[in-house]
Amino acid sequence: MTEGTHLSEPSPDAVIVDRGYRKYEGLRTGPRGTMLAIIKDGFRRVTGLRRKARRKVLPWFLIILALTTMVILVGIHWATSNTPADLVELPKNGEYFDIISIVALLFSALAIPELLVPDRAQGTLNVYFSRPLTVDRYLSAKALAIVTVLMAFYLVPQFLFHLGLAAVSDEGFLSYLAGNLDVLWKVPAVALVYVAVHGAVASTIAAFLPRVGAAAGVFLGSMLIFNLIAAFFQEATNFPGARYASLFAFEQHPRVVRDWVFGIDTVNYLPTRAGFEPVVSLAVAAVLVAIATIAVRWQYKRSA
Amino acid sequence: MTEPLIRTTNLTQNFGSVLALDGLDIEIPPGITGLVGANGAGKTTLLKIVLGLLAPTSGEVSVLGTLVSENPIGIRERIGYMPEDRCLPLDQTAADFVGYAAELAGIPSSESRRRSSETLFLVGLHEERFRYIGDFSTGMQQRVKLAQAIVHDPELVLLDEPASGLDPKGREQMLELIIRFGEFGINVVISSHILEDIEATCEWVVMLDGGKLIRSAPLEPPAEGDEVSVEVFGDPLSLISALADLGVEATADGPIVRVTSDEGQAFEVVRDALAASGSSVRRLGVSLSSLEDLFLEEAGNQYD
Repeated sequence: MTEGTHLSEPSPDAVIVDRGYRKYEGLRTGPRGTMLAIIKDGFRRVTGLRRKARRKVLPWFLIILALTTMVILVGIHWATSNTPADLVELPKNGEYFDIISIVALLFSALAIPELLVPDRAQGTLNVYFSRPLTVDRYLSAKALAIVTVLMAFYLVPQFLFHLGLAAVSDEGFLSYLAGNLDVLWKVPAVALVYVAVHGAVASTIAAFLPRVGAAAGVFLGSMLIFNLIAAFFQEATNFPGARYASLFAFEQHPRVVRDWVFGIDTVNYLPTRAGFEPVVSLAVAAVLVAIATIAVRWQYKRSA
Repeated sequence: MTEPLIRTTNLTQNFGSVLALDGLDIEIPPGITGLVGANGAGKTTLLKIVLGLLAPTSGEVSVLGTLVSENPIGIRERIGYMPEDRCLPLDQTAADFVGYAAELAGIPSSESRRRSSETLFLVGLHEERFRYIGDFSTGMQQRVKLAQAIVHDPELVLLDEPASGLDPKGREQMLELIIRFGEFGINVVISSHILEDIEATCEWVVMLDGGKLIRSAPLEPPAEGDEVSVEVFGDPLSLISALADLGVEATADGPIVRVTSDEGQAFEVVRDALAASGSSVRRLGVSLSSLEDLFLEEAGNQYD
């Protein structure tokens, strides 16, 4: 020991304390806190936060892809801002759904099975349902998590796109925003229909399959196959009532609603060609949500 | 007896034509209780009814003074459950999972993280708490299961086969932890078919067989020293005869002779009888009345 360094002598009263176990006397958050915990966990799970790096790759690739398409579109608007409007017609918020919805379809295929399958496959429901949590409350929280995550996926790029269009607009930033206030309800309304249709189909599939990858594949495959079947029955057969097959073109119903809400005419979709009004597409979305609610609830009640 | 921890009245559970629990009337006192029975005896069914996860076909259960049927959700705030089956998310860290389990029981988020850390310290996983559960050994995973069962400060913990899949050292450590829970004032019910574990940890034992109660009583320490088993080479008749000459009654089971001395001098009596009969000893030792003997005897009586 060097001179001038002083170490205190060990106290004869010193004891090693076992930290033991601490009782919890504080408040409990109740059902609302429990549901909020499930939603927060769902958000982290879908985005791969607090998971291994490879779990982050796909969701963040799709998020960045969605934002990149938005930046490119704003850039095109800026580059053509001096071109007369009648010479070039560029996509705005309504048309942007054509791009974002494809990326969102892939994101739904990833996110919804990720929210539903692991809890069942890994057996963690045994722990969760031993807490003050009912099946209905658990499923409600999961549904809220699905809606929150997917709505965010649609709305954040749309919101930034809207600001971008305002920034490059000839009218000026504030004038553009003031002149397009209807976007504030149209975009969320249409996004909700997309989320309802994709969410309902993907949730139903995810509730019955034991693997995330399988559920994602079956979901994407089913959206494609239902479209093909609907097109086949409508175009290639003369069965009486074949037009009703167009109602099974699930992937096209949100697009029909989008065209209706934004007053645009992009493609003649199967339900439109079959003579169905857009409100029928809304009804199909509602029926899909109802079927999904019944099927998913039945499956979880059975296995809880 | 003080207010029972768990009281069942004529508790019956049918699964179709299968009678899982048959009119159980049990009173389990506070402390550490063992729930014993072969596979299919009704142990897990009883635990699920106590947790309020399963509504009994008939009869009633009260836990911690509350009728489960009246408040099945509320009671779970006061109970912890460690399932036998796999129940861990392998892609989450131990700290995240245990914290999430606390939040689901209504503990606020910041306090959940703190309690998660403390509880993992208690079960010996403090250093490893930020590792992914999928990278853990079986023993470490069992400790995580145990940690999630107590993180929300329950008054009662139900442990379903807690030592399942553990090596002897891991098993011993797990039993030591369970005994510590008793010291912390947490009541414990351990369901197990490993009777040695029950003997090592419990103060009370409930035995089930085929859904019927065969015993609910304090677990007495095994009597030691007053019964001796001796196995001899050849015919044991001469030894039995020598014992009779010394005024001691003995019973023979094949080559094994069991000797009981009222005065606690069984070894001395056997030594003298062996010398007198000239028998050669193959094996000699204390004869313990184990829980297994008791279980087999009681189960046998049930069907006599």
